[in-house]
Amino acid sequence: MNERYIEFSNDKLMELAKNNDLQAFKALVERNGKKAYLLALKLVGDPADAQDISQEAFIRVYNSRKRYDEKKPFFSWFYTILSNLAKNHLKKGKVRLRYRRRTRDEREAVGADFAVSPEYILESNRIKERVWKAIEKLPFEQKEIIVLRHFEDLSYEKIAESIGIPLGSVMSRLYYARKKLKEILGSESE
Amino acid sequence: MKVVDELATGDEKREFAELMKADSALEEEYRSFKEIKEVTDTIMFKDLPDSYWEGYWQGIYNRLERGIGWIFFSIGAIILLAFGAYHFLIDFFMSETIALLVKIGVAVGGLGLIILLVSIIREVLYARKHERYKEVKY
Repeated sequence: MNERYIEFSNDKLMELAKNNDLQAFKALVERNGKKAYLLALKLVGDPADAQDISQEAFIRVYNSRKRYDEKKPFFSWFYTILSNLAKNHLKKGKVRLRYRRRTRDEREAVGADFAVSPEYILESNRIKERVWKAIEKLPFEQKEIIVLRHFEDLSYEKIAESIGIPLGSVMSRLYYARKKLKEILGSESE
Repeated sequence: MKVVDELATGDEKREFAELMKADSALEEEYRSFKEIKEVTDTIMFKDLPDSYWEGYWQGIYNRLERGIGWIFFSIGAIILLAFGAYHFLIDFFMSETIALLVKIGVAVGGLGLIILLVSIIREVLYARKHERYKEVKY
């Protein structure tokens, strides 16, 4: 990364990128690339798709840089773009998944768990895999709140800002997401 | 939720402990949420190899550059096509060697094509306006 930009915050880099400073945008990408990839991975559950989505999110950030509001934190804005891309990707993917499920069902016994073991989890074990697969089964809105709170360790205020919902809704959504997660895990162990 | 996330104040914790004493279902729910949280705290995700990150910016830059290239190419193509179409129509309709009937046929066919295109575009725009997932933005 260009040394000139090391000291700058993400917000400052985005402000410079808004004024067509491509090197500032490069610094922003280099600093946040891994974070964006891992966040996308948690939302879509596929490394190749996560790579595509994280890159596309940065491209959209650059293309719409003139609309960036300096008063708002960069992460919230970036997250909105990334999360919308992930949501759309999963919606489109449902058609593919339905087809895959059908062909798989033809080969495998009905009711067998067709989900691929998540190889992208470090030091994976049975409990972690079970919990992660249950998270993946949550509706997108519940999955994203679990990802932001449990994995990104964001405060309720930050989550509210990133998703664009009131603070009270963060807590209630988190509650229902955890409840649903508990139900999924409970039904699987029966 | 604040207690599970360890964000509750001392008073809130005490109040919640009292509530749990009186409600075993609440206590059971709290324990299960806490267990889930403890497991998720240990889940880590594998990063991609360094070689991928070395080319990450270049990949984004290439895609940005190509996007700009396509915009210029499209504008150029539209200008050239409009220019070509204009001259073709002028030459065609002004030509004295082409029969009037052929000119009328081409004009009517062209008008039909325009109506069809307008109809399709209107339908696409209508479908987009009434799309179920229109709240999902790119």
